[in-house]
Amino acid sequence: MISEVLTPEPFFMLATLLFSIGLIGLISRRNLFVVYMSIELMLSSVNLVLVVFSRLRGDMGGSVMVLLMIAVIAAEAALFLAMIIQLVRSRRSVDSDDFAQLRQTKEQL
Amino acid sequence: MLWSKQSILSAFGFLIAMLAMAGVFALLENSFLFLAQIMVSVGAVVVLSLMVIITVNMKDEDLPDEPKKLRWILFSAILVAPFSFLMYRALTHMHQSFGVSQEGYGTLKSMGGELFSHWVLPFEIASVLLLAAMVAAIVIARKEPN
Repeated sequence: MISEVLTPEPFFMLATLLFSIGLIGLISRRNLFVVYMSIELMLSSVNLVLVVFSRLRGDMGGSVMVLLMIAVIAAEAALFLAMIIQLVRSRRSVDSDDFAQLRQTKEQL
Repeated sequence: MLWSKQSILSAFGFLIAMLAMAGVFALLENSFLFLAQIMVSVGAVVVLSLMVIITVNMKDEDLPDEPKKLRWILFSAILVAPFSFLMYRALTHMHQSFGVSQEGYGTLKSMGGELFSHWVLPFEIASVLLLAAMVAAIVIARKEPN
């Protein structure tokens, strides 16, 4: 039984750590794939906090929110990867600086 | 995950993180979310990103040049540290321990009951959002007609 063995602190620690790693990756890397995975990691840590609170309060609402979040994450992943593919097709690079030039591709055509 | 230059190694780290997250959900007695995480995050999102990375197949010289990567990571870690400490303190101040879980917590039945009674509108919005994202992804990723 989880209530006798574990306290919420390790879970919060894990969520904080995951969020921090995601934020560090978002700030420090330029490879767009790594940036994308960092965003996913931050979203997952928010999921984890929601599940822990849902478990603490015995309320399924938090879990339902996480379920909807997972759907949003899937949508975000599809969009982000499509944009990366578009960038690679037009510039042959995954540098995040080139991402800003995506809006010019329409005008050049 | 942050370290490696090759994106595929980062993707494997991401896969491990998502699997571990599913394990944590199982530890929190939330069996349905465990399954949803395995199916959606691991089965769809990670596999999709792996396939994109393999398809794109960037050469080493095409990858962005990051000569000061280690310094950047250290710098941003120092930048983020106070914030994460604050977040940890704020989160842990709210509750002290887990209560005994109620009967039927985390099962498919209670989840579905909650989802289709109180959360119907967000559920519908999520379905519309998924449809819009699907259409948008196809539009963005298709070849431009010349």
